[in-house]
Amino acid sequence: MIQESSRFEPFQDSPIRVLSDAGEWIAPFELDLSNETLVALYRQLVTARRVDERLVRLQRQGKSSFVAPGAGHEGIQIAIANSVRVGQDWLFPYYRDYGMACAAGVPLHEIFGQMLGTLADPSGARQMPSHPTSAPLKIFSALSPIASHIPPAVGAGIAQKLAGKGDVTIVSFGDGATSEGDWHAAMNFAGVQGVPVVVVCENKRYAISGEFQKQSGSDTIAEKARAYGMPGYRVDGMDVLASLYLLRELVERARQGFGPALVDASVYRYGPHSSADDDSVYRPAEEVAAWRERDPIPRYRRFLESRELWDEAAEEALEQEVAAQIDEAVKTAEAAGEPELAAMFDDVYAEMPWHLEEQREELER
Amino acid sequence: MPVMNLVQSVASTLHAEMARDEGVVVLGEDVGKRGGVFLATEGLYDQYGPDRVIDTPLSEAAIVGAALGMSVLGMRPVAEIQFAEYVFHGFDQVVSQVAKLRYRTAGKFTAPMVVRMPAGGGVKGGHHHSQNPETHFAHTAGLHVIYPSTPSDTAGMLRTAIRSDDPVILFEPKRLYRAVKEEVSADPDFMVPFGQAVVRREGDDVVLVSYGGSMAETARAAEALDAQGVSSTVIDLRSLVPWDRDTVLEHVARVGRVVLVSESPQMVGFMSEVSATITEHILDALLAPPIRVSGPDTPYPYAQDRAYLPGPRRILHAVQKVLNY
Repeated sequence: MIQESSRFEPFQDSPIRVLSDAGEWIAPFELDLSNETLVALYRQLVTARRVDERLVRLQRQGKSSFVAPGAGHEGIQIAIANSVRVGQDWLFPYYRDYGMACAAGVPLHEIFGQMLGTLADPSGARQMPSHPTSAPLKIFSALSPIASHIPPAVGAGIAQKLAGKGDVTIVSFGDGATSEGDWHAAMNFAGVQGVPVVVVCENKRYAISGEFQKQSGSDTIAEKARAYGMPGYRVDGMDVLASLYLLRELVERARQGFGPALVDASVYRYGPHSSADDDSVYRPAEEVAAWRERDPIPRYRRFLESRELWDEAAEEALEQEVAAQIDEAVKTAEAAGEPELAAMFDDVYAEMPWHLEEQREELER
Repeated sequence: MPVMNLVQSVASTLHAEMARDEGVVVLGEDVGKRGGVFLATEGLYDQYGPDRVIDTPLSEAAIVGAALGMSVLGMRPVAEIQFAEYVFHGFDQVVSQVAKLRYRTAGKFTAPMVVRMPAGGGVKGGHHHSQNPETHFAHTAGLHVIYPSTPSDTAGMLRTAIRSDDPVILFEPKRLYRAVKEEVSADPDFMVPFGQAVVRREGDDVVLVSYGGSMAETARAAEALDAQGVSSTVIDLRSLVPWDRDTVLEHVARVGRVVLVSESPQMVGFMSEVSATITEHILDALLAPPIRVSGPDTPYPYAQDRAYLPGPRRILHAVQKVLNY
C-alpha cells in the first residue's frame, strides 16, 4: 500500500531541495508557510547551533564528560520537531538529536542538566551526556547502542495504529545505524505492519571514521526502503524547508494510514563524532570546509533576508537573546546540584528488592 | 478447579488476562493461527484476532523491541520467544533497552512487559533447543527473572508478570509442559508473588534447593532418599530475581546440609549465588559445605541429552557427600 507523497517522488537520484545554496526558493510549488513560521524556524536553527557550541565548550572546560556535537544536522532536526504534534505524536531521537529536542520544546535547563549530570536532568543524571529525553513531550530516551531504539519505535507505531487516533512516530538515527540488525529487523516489521512511523536517517556520511562506502553496499540509504515495502526519499537535510515539507507530507500520509516511509537526509557533521574523537585523522579539512559552504543556517538566513523577513538588527537581537537564555539555563542546570549517592539505587524496579536495599545500606556505611 | 498441564496453564492465563485488559497483547513467531509451536497461545487468535495476537516476522529483536515500544505507550505486551536460546537475537533489546528503561529515565518511562520463553533440556534438542540462559538475565539489573515448575505456579506467576510494572523474563520448563496435570485456580485474580519460594516437602537431614525443570529430578531424588531413610526438605525457588533468601536460610540453618540443583551450567550459575549467600550468612550453622549439582560447563550436547541434566543419581551422590562430610 504505497501511496506516494503528492509533491515529492521517492527513489530519485538527487536529494530534494527547495532552497539553493544561495538561499533562493527553487521548488516547483508555492511557498505556503507563514512568515511567523519561517522566522521561528530560523530562531530554532540558531538556538540549536549555539546550544551545541556551548555544550562543546562545557565539555572542554571539564564540566561535562562527553558531547556528541550536532552542528550541521540542524536542518533535518528542526524539521522533525516541526513536522509533528509535539506531546501527542512520539519522537524516538538518537543521541545527537538535542537540536531536535530544543526545537520540540525541551527546556534548555533540562538539556544542560542532562549534559552536566545534575538534577535538572529529567532523567535524574542517570545517563551520560548527549542522551536527551522528555516524557511530557513524548520524546523517548536516546540510548548509546546504535539502532536499538528503532524496534521500540516500531512498537510505538503498532500501539498508535491499534489506538486508531491518527498519532504518528518519527524515529531518527545516523548512517551507521543502517548496518545494524536492529535497523533491518525494525524496517521489515514496520513494512509488514504498515505502522505510522517515519524513519529518518541523518546521513552525515561518516559513522565515527567509517565512511559511507564502507557502511553501505547500496549507493543510498533511501533505496533500502524498497526492500521493506515503503517509499524512500532523499532530501537535503541541510535545507530546513525541504526537510520540513517532505516530513510534513510523510507524517500526514502515515496519519492517514498509508504506513511508514524512509527519509535519507544528507547532512554533514562539522565536529568530530564526539569529544573523544579526532576527525582530522580521517577527513580532509577541505571536505569539511566545502560542506560548511552549505551550512543550513546562513543559507536559510539568506532566504529570509531575500524575503525581507530578517536583517542584521534582528540577527544581533536574536544572538543576544539566545546567549542570555543559554547563560540562564546553564546557571539553572548547575544550581540544581548532583543527585545523592543513594539515588543510584532508585528506579531499578518499581519497588526496591531486598538485595538492593542491602547494597545501598552497605555503600552508605 | 480446572485441571491442566503447564502449557495449558499458560494459554488459559493469557486468555483470562486478555479478556480482563484490552492492553494485553501477545506477539511472537507462530503465536497466531498456529497457537505457538508448543500451543501456549492456542485459541487466542480466534478469540482476539490479529491486532492483539500478532504473528511477527522471524526476528527476536523486532519482537522484544516492539514489545518495549508498545509497553512505553501503555500496553501490556506478552512476547513469546520460541526457544529460549533464540532470545539472543533480541538480547540487546532486553539488556540495553528493556532492563534499563526505568532507571535511565528516572522512572519517567517504564516497560511493563513480559518475555516468555520455553527453556531447558531433556527434549533431544541439541545445544540450541535445550539451554537454560537464566543467568544472563539474573545478571542484568532491572529484570524480574522467574522460573516456575508447576502449572499452578506458572499461571499465578504469569498473571503477576502481566500486571507487574517492571519487565519480567519468564522461563517455562518445556520438558514439563505436558508432564504433570494439576488443579489451577480459576480465580481471575489468582497470583503468585515474586520473591517467594515454596517448600515442597519438609525433612530434617538435608535441604534440596532447585527451580524450573530440575524440580522434577529433585523431587524424584527426594523420594529415593525417603526410601533410604533420609528425610529431605525440598525448596522450589520459583523466582530468581528477586529470590527468597529468607526461606532458604531458615531451612538450611535448621538442617545444616544443602544441595543446590540446577540444570544450567555450573560456572557463575544462579546456585553459585545461593551457595555464596548461604556461606556468607549462616556459615556457623552448616554441617557441610553447600554442594551444587549443575549442568556441565559444556554446550548442551545432543547424544547425551539426558545425561547432561542433573538426575537423581548425581543428586543422591551429592547428598551422600554432605551427609558424610
